[in-house]
Amino acid sequence: MSAAPASRATRLPAYAVAALALLAFLAVPWVGISNNAIRLLLTTFLWVTTSLAWNLLGGVTGQVSFGFAVFYGLGAYTAGLSINGGITPYAAIPAGGAVAAFGSLLIGLPTFRLRGPYFAIATIGVNEAVRIVMSNLDITGGASGVRLLQAGRFSQAEHYYAALGVASLAFLVSWRVMHSPFGLALRAIREDQDAAADVGVHPFRLKLAVHALAACLTGVAGGVFAHYTAYIHPDGVFSFATSTSILLMPVIGGLGTLSGPVIGAAVYSIVQEEMVVHFPQFHLLLYGALLILIMLFEPGGLAGLWRRLARRLRGGGP
Amino acid sequence: MTELLSVKGLTRHFGGIAAVVNLQFRVKEREIFGIIGPNGAGKTTAFSMIAGSLLPTAGSIRFRGREIAGWPSQRVVHLGICRTHQVPRPFTGMTVYENVEVGMRFGGRRTPPRGEVADEIERILEFTGLSGWGASSAGSLPTGNRKRLELARALATDPVVLLCDEICGGLNPTETADILSLLRRLRDSGITILYIEHDMRAVMRTCDRIMVLNYGQKLAEGTPEEIQDDEGVIEAYLGRRSWMGRKEEIEEQP
Repeated sequence: MSAAPASRATRLPAYAVAALALLAFLAVPWVGISNNAIRLLLTTFLWVTTSLAWNLLGGVTGQVSFGFAVFYGLGAYTAGLSINGGITPYAAIPAGGAVAAFGSLLIGLPTFRLRGPYFAIATIGVNEAVRIVMSNLDITGGASGVRLLQAGRFSQAEHYYAALGVASLAFLVSWRVMHSPFGLALRAIREDQDAAADVGVHPFRLKLAVHALAACLTGVAGGVFAHYTAYIHPDGVFSFATSTSILLMPVIGGLGTLSGPVIGAAVYSIVQEEMVVHFPQFHLLLYGALLILIMLFEPGGLAGLWRRLARRLRGGGP
Repeated sequence: MTELLSVKGLTRHFGGIAAVVNLQFRVKEREIFGIIGPNGAGKTTAFSMIAGSLLPTAGSIRFRGREIAGWPSQRVVHLGICRTHQVPRPFTGMTVYENVEVGMRFGGRRTPPRGEVADEIERILEFTGLSGWGASSAGSLPTGNRKRLELARALATDPVVLLCDEICGGLNPTETADILSLLRRLRDSGITILYIEHDMRAVMRTCDRIMVLNYGQKLAEGTPEEIQDDEGVIEAYLGRRSWMGRKEEIEEQP
C-alpha cells in the first residue's frame, strides 16, 4: 500500500515461498509420510484458518473477541446436521460458513456498540450463552452432541485437501484484505476509531463486515473439522477453551501480520500434540506463560521476534 | 459572500454542566472564522458538535441549508466538513502516507481515479510541508509534523469547511507562521475555515471574523478590530487593558 520500495522488494519472495509451501503440502499425501503426521498437518491447517480469521478482527482491526468458538461451532453444527440430512459436504461446509457469518451479524449488532475491554467481555458472555443453548437444544442433540453419518469410504487425503484448501483460502483472503483500502480502514479503526470516523471511515459498518468475513472462514474450518472427526459436541466446538485457543494462536504468532497467525497456529498444534500425551493439562500453563512473556517482551509475537533477530543477524540496529 | 454554516440554539450539557449554551452564529463562504475564549469556554465542544463527534443536547446546525445536527462524523465529512484535533491523533501504527490515504479514500466527496491517488497524496504532503515524510511511521513524528499531519489528513477529504482546533498549539513562532500562511492559502483557494486558537496574535492576524465564547455562551462577535475594542471581551476574557491597547503590534501584518 505504502509505496515504500523496501517492502516491495521483499514481497516477491513471499509469493514464491507461499507457492512452494502450497506445492509441498499438495504433495504430502503422496510421499508416504505417516497418517498421524498427515492428521497433525490437517489439524494445523484448521488452526491456521481460524488464526488468520481471528487476526482480521483482533489483529488488523484491534477488536479482541473471546467468542470465536461460536462461529467454529455454528459452522461445525451446520455442516454436521446438513451432512446427516443428506446434503453433500461440498455444500454443507460452505453453508456452515454462511450460517456463522449470519450469526456474527446478530452478535456484532449489539456488541460492537461496546469498545475495547467491554466488547471483549461481552463476547465471553455470548460464547457461554450459545454453548449453554446448544447443550440444551433437541435438534442439535443436546449435550451428547452429533454423530455424523459417513457416506462412502473414509479418505484421509480428501479431508487433508479440504483443510489445506480452507487454509489457503484464509491466507488469500487475509492477503487481499491487508493490501486493500478496506484493510487500510480497518487498521485506522484499530489505531483510533474516532479519528477514523472524523475522516470518513464508518467504524461500525466495517467492523460488522470484517467480523462476518472472519466468522465465515472460522465456520468453514468448523465444518471441515466436523466432517473429519464425524463427532461434535457443545463442550468441544462451542467451549470457551476453543475460543481462547483461537485467540492465543495469532497473539503468540504476531498480531496484524500475515505470517504471525500461521506461525502461531503451527507452534500451537505441535506443542499441543506433544504435551497433551504426557501432561494433559500442562499445555495450558505453557500457553499462559508464553502469552505473558510475549506481552511483556515482544508484542509483535513470534513473527516480530523473528524480524528482530533477522535484523540483528544482518548487522542492522537492535 | 454567501452563508455556508448557520448554528442556532446549540446547547450541550455534560451531566449538570452546561458546556455550550444556546450558541448562535453564522459562517460565510471563504472566510477564516476564529473562535476564542478561556479554557473551558466550550470551543472544542462546539466544534465537536459541528463535526459530528458529539451529539448536541439541543439546537440546529445547518450546512448549505441542510440540517446536520446529530449526524455522525463519517456522514458530515462526506458533505465536506472535516476537523483536526487539538491533541493530534495520528494513526500511529501507520505511515504518514497511509494516514493521508485513509482520509482520501474514505472521506473524499470524490475519490480520485485509481492512478491519481498517489499523486494527490504527494501533492497534499508537499502543501503541508511533509514531503519526504511519507514513508515514516506517523507515531515517530515530532509535534510540529503531527500538527501538519492532522491538517494533511483533513485536507485529503477535500473539505468545504475545515475545523482547525488549536492547530498552532505547542508550535514555535516560525512553525506557527508557516501554518497560518497555509490557512490563508487554503482560504484563498476557496476553503472556509473555523479556527479555534489560544494564541491571540495568531487569531488577530489571521481571522476575518472572530467569535468570543465564555462559559459556553457567546460574548462577542466581529472583526478582529471590533473584538479588540469590545469592553466585555477585555474584561471577561483578557482582563488586561494594557495588552489589548497595543493595537499597532497586533495589526502588524507579516
